Amino acid sequence: MQSAVKATSFNQKTNQILGISQEDARISKSYLSIAFIALLLGGFLGLLQGLNRAGVLQLPPWLNYYQVLTAHGILLVVVLSAFFTIGYFYAGLSHTLGGLLPKVRKMAWIGFWMKIFGFVLVVIPILKNEASVMYTFYPPMAASPMFYFGLVFIVLGIWMLSLGAFTQVANWRKNHKGQHLPILAFFATGVFVLLVGATAFVAVEVLFMIIPWTLGWTDGINVLLARTLFWAFGHTAVNIWYLTAVSAWYVIVPKIIGGNRWNDLLTRMVVIPLVIMNITGGFHHQIIDPGISESIKYMHVFMSLAIGFPSLMTAYAMFRVFERTARAKGGKGLVGWYKKMPWGDVRFLSPFIAMVAFIPAGAGGIAQSTNQLDQVVHNTMWVVGHFHITLGMSVIMTFFGISYWLVPYLSKRVLTSGMNRLGVIQTAIWTLGMVIMAISMHIVGLFGSPRRTSFTTYGNFAETLGWNPYMVAVGIGASLLLVAVILQVYAVFNLMFFAPKGVTEFPIAEEEAGAAKTPYWTERWGIWVVLMLLVVSMAYVLPIADMIMNAPPGSPPFKTW
Amino acid sequence: MNLFLFGLVLLIGLMLPPVANLMESVMIIHMHMQMPMLVIAGFFMGQFFQRRFPHFFSKYNQEGIPGILLFIIIMGYWMLPRTMDEALTVNSVELFKFISLPFLAGVPLRDSWKKLSKNRKNYTIGFFTVIFSGMGWLYIQANDQLCNNYLVVDQMILGWGFITMAICMVIYLVYTAVVDPSLYE
Ligand code: HEM
Ligand SMILES: [Cu+2]
Repeated sequence: MQSAVKATSFNQKTNQILGISQEDARISKSYLSIAFIALLLGGFLGLLQGLNRAGVLQLPPWLNYYQVLTAHGILLVVVLSAFFTIGYFYAGLSHTLGGLLPKVRKMAWIGFWMKIFGFVLVVIPILKNEASVMYTFYPPMAASPMFYFGLVFIVLGIWMLSLGAFTQVANWRKNHKGQHLPILAFFATGVFVLLVGATAFVAVEVLFMIIPWTLGWTDGINVLLARTLFWAFGHTAVNIWYLTAVSAWYVIVPKIIGGNRWNDLLTRMVVIPLVIMNITGGFHHQIIDPGISESIKYMHVFMSLAIGFPSLMTAYAMFRVFERTARAKGGKGLVGWYKKMPWGDVRFLSPFIAMVAFIPAGAGGIAQSTNQLDQVVHNTMWVVGHFHITLGMSVIMTFFGISYWLVPYLSKRVLTSGMNRLGVIQTAIWTLGMVIMAISMHIVGLFGSPRRTSFTTYGNFAETLGWNPYMVAVGIGASLLLVAVILQVYAVFNLMFFAPKGVTEFPIAEEEAGAAKTPYWTERWGIWVVLMLLVVSMAYVLPIADMIMNAPPGSPPFKTW
Repeated sequence: MNLFLFGLVLLIGLMLPPVANLMESVMIIHMHMQMPMLVIAGFFMGQFFQRRFPHFFSKYNQEGIPGILLFIIIMGYWMLPRTMDEALTVNSVELFKFISLPFLAGVPLRDSWKKLSKNRKNYTIGFFTVIFSGMGWLYIQANDQLCNNYLVVDQMILGWGFITMAICMVIYLVYTAVVDPSLYE
């Protein structure tokens, strides 16, 4: 045991001095490459959508708007986000836990190929226009069975990767008795626990409900139940990407600005409730669904708002860290300290804008959790505007900021000042594009313009013609965004293969000197998982049992496109 | 003191007629949310009584066994369909619910849990696992309406609630049995 301890801490040291090992780097680089290729394709499709809805571009007869929308949703929320998260956390596990174990590496590769295989199965029917069901694939719309088999493999891949992460963490803890898991690995553990929890629901939906039904083994499907299972997954997935971004806000950003992390215990106390209470938030996507009783919806408002609390803590924590750091550098005055922040550093600028975007994003989310307000905006462009600021800004811009140090760290190259400048320009264009697009989407949504609808003038009806100027703005935003996408993808691959060789550090901030020791109970992941299961069962038994016992006759499959 | 106030406010909040009516209108929420929250309210208030009457607790609840027994009896009492029904029809029984769950279950739980050895804790959880599975089975397969105030379908939903909770407890017990904390801590 003693020698094992020495061996790992030796590994940890070599890791810190020599940087990440070739094999571990290759894993993360593969994940990140896929993520950014998905960004390129998805961004291009987003442009097509934006131009179509602006009324400038008519899609050719062989390309259906819903086909494009399905691919855009899947490429960006399923592929880009998941692959980035995994690449980033595997690099983090490798860096903070002394290199990946050989068997964990193997698991990472098996998971990678399972995900790719699944993804190919998903893409083929989309290309053939046999799966234009959008990324939510709500029954009774039915895609070709191959699409759902693909989803199963993606889920299996995720389980394999989670198992790999747990193996790595358990091994480290065995060799470091009584020590706290390094904070980034702590975030990673939470994220992989949630990934397993979330995908379990969609696995049940796809394996036991949809696949037998599309194969014709059963003749009806319980639509409401399927949607409920989907959103237990979909909601949690989105929160996983958010938690990933938050990990960088707490751990990475303070180091980049030359400060310390926020209180360790409280940081962990943000992760734990987010893991325990997350999945049940899925119901806020079903506020308008018929068949769920009002009292259930009412109680679930509390579950949704409960997740808001850790977010508010985060907002407080971040500004405290910024102010402290800036004052330590001589910043003065009530607001004057902000001048001391490294505004010209893309590794700070991009995640900072991401955090600012979370203020309107969170406020919009709270509004949407309110039944009466949601009635106005449900299924309108407002919602599309909302998730382009939550995902397209808060999450993705954090990921972009990470990429400017993570990619050179992995490829043992450096971020040159020229590349940094490109990054700042890219950040500015992306911000401008997203702000234009998201604001016009929010406004036109309030007027009632529906989402998921290709260009139409509604028979030149005067009221709806008034929406068109906003849709033109969406098109303008989309064009700017594509420019930013191209710059970003160029930057990633340049940093991966062509930038000058050198050493880039993995920036992890330290605790403040003299910080109180974090109590050990924060490490009891078994208990957090059981609590999570308890909360999930308390929240889901009643509605699900009700949906099954009072089910209407099931629906046959439909092809609506 | 802060915790005491928190518990007291929670208790009063739960007793407010609109809140109580909403929670009691659904059988599973009545049993699996209102009642546990009443216990939690008592749990929070427990420290106040421990400080106020230290001798009482150290004399009568030395190793935590009497306290946990009292807890089990009170919990068992409120798991019966008959008692839930009565709480809705007879006001004094409702009042007894609001007193017994916090003060005769929550407070003793607070005092006993820390005093119990690890094995005894696990036995307690194991005991509740068995009871919950049994109650779950009872409520799911009973074709008769067991309460005047709730429908058969409510009963079945409650039964599934018991079963899923039992599953969670089994997972916890397996976790404590399989994972040896001394390997990690
Ligand atoms: C290049 C930048 C982007 C542009 C121009 C863009 C544009 C659009 C447009 C116009 C829509 C269709 C609205 C509708 O008809 O309902 C849409 C939908 C969507 N976008 Fe984006 N978007 C971009 C980036 C992103 C990013 C980064 C994400 C997430 C990480 C994302 C996630 C989504 C999702 C989930 C939908 C909904 C798909 C559906 O309704 O099925 N987008 N986007
Ligand atoms: Cu959600």
